[in-house]
Amino acid sequence: MKAGFALIMVLFSSAVPAFADTGSRVDPDWPQIIAYATHQTDYSGTFVYQHGSHMETARITHMSDQSGEHEKLENLDGPRREFIRNNKEIWWYLGDHKAVQMERPYSGKRFPALLPEQLSALNENYLIQTAEQARIAGFDTQAIVFQPKDTLRYSHKMWAHKDSGLLLKAVVLNERKQMVEQYTFIQLEIDGDIEPTQLMPRQSAAFLEQPSHSVTQSDTSAQADMSDWKVVAVPTGFKKIMEMRRPLHGNKTAVIHFVFSDGLAGISVFIETLGNHFDKKPGLSSRGAVHVYRKIKDDYLVTVVGEVPPRTVMQVADSVRYKGQ
Amino acid sequence: MKQKISALMDGELFDDDAEAVLDQLNHNPDIHEEWRTYHLISDVLRQPNHVHVNISSAIRERLQVEPTVLAPRSRASHNAKWFALSAAASVMAFILVAWLSVQVGSEATPQIAMQQSNAVHAASLPANGLDDYLMAHQEFSPGVGVHGMTSYVHTVAHQQADKQP
Repeated sequence: MKAGFALIMVLFSSAVPAFADTGSRVDPDWPQIIAYATHQTDYSGTFVYQHGSHMETARITHMSDQSGEHEKLENLDGPRREFIRNNKEIWWYLGDHKAVQMERPYSGKRFPALLPEQLSALNENYLIQTAEQARIAGFDTQAIVFQPKDTLRYSHKMWAHKDSGLLLKAVVLNERKQMVEQYTFIQLEIDGDIEPTQLMPRQSAAFLEQPSHSVTQSDTSAQADMSDWKVVAVPTGFKKIMEMRRPLHGNKTAVIHFVFSDGLAGISVFIETLGNHFDKKPGLSSRGAVHVYRKIKDDYLVTVVGEVPPRTVMQVADSVRYKGQ
Repeated sequence: MKQKISALMDGELFDDDAEAVLDQLNHNPDIHEEWRTYHLISDVLRQPNHVHVNISSAIRERLQVEPTVLAPRSRASHNAKWFALSAAASVMAFILVAWLSVQVGSEATPQIAMQQSNAVHAASLPANGLDDYLMAHQEFSPGVGVHGMTSYVHTVAHQQADKQP
């Protein structure tokens, strides 16, 4: 695996001088290399996640073998929480409640790497350039900047490990170049020996498994037809990559879920009957680069989630239309 | 203990308190680790571009290189070491405060101000009010392809934020 990367890197570094006049033009493979490395490299490290004045540290351990990907994410501050992923299955351990919740993706679709169509979307929506080289957590990295072509999305700067392509730092910046959020590894081991036990939950909590509801017709009968809904003002460059009905954890009824992507940022639109959601107050909330905007539209609750600026989620939520409205 | 370490870093402890904390630092590896972590965090905040991992051992190494000719191996050198660290911590604390005030200052613009008011709003949501949506979103978000599971930190971190007044 590593040899593959080394080869790519050698090709990359030997190709660049030949096109020296192109200056900071990014190697088009960088986003792909990063995406690939994230999923194929074995690593274990501690990173700091920062948004606004909040700061959290978390530990991540990732291993990839014949049986697929195994991963553990664990916060180091506050009440203990762990995410454990085995391929598509995600287990969510809430230490405080001594409970285990299970989240199982409802379709086989994931993003093991950036798909070719997403790569071309990336190039259409962002100006991708290589920036400085820097040393992060003891590793040499190459910075790559994704500059959006409008203000409806954030710009991203990422620092990738030169040898493996692993992302060691990522910053999301708003249009005034202020940091919205960032995460940085402060300690990292790449390709070290990872014991399978490191990927086990730390606590043997009293198991409370909550398997996902399967969507049945009766669940959805009260729901409006998916095709009756349209999102008319998605920013240019965002394409619908998925539409589905899904049960949301604990919800008895299914929700309609649309996902739009511009290659780097995603926008989800959830539509559900208002029912007993009166307690869920509408409005905007933000956590780092992720913004959530909820809006009541007639008898429905519309929730828009995305790694985009507040006005983008609001614009999208305001543009949700039912039938010919 | 954490508060004491923090106070020590800020140079806010009285001499005898500081002595006691330093003594514990020297004898308890856990506390020493904590001390190092605090420095690392300050370091990250201060200069995210250049994180110096394990700063205290770097300083110790430097100090060991310093010739200590005939001076008795005693508290003198220890004090010098801790004084240096303590001074560094004060500088960090100052920069941290400056950094935070810059953050606060930037919130005056309408858009951010709106975010702020709504952050308060988010606090009134039940802890799990939005996590379901975030999880569902992250399942398909292209960010997962690029960042892998680190993008789930939103969900891990958020509940913290939710609970804060």
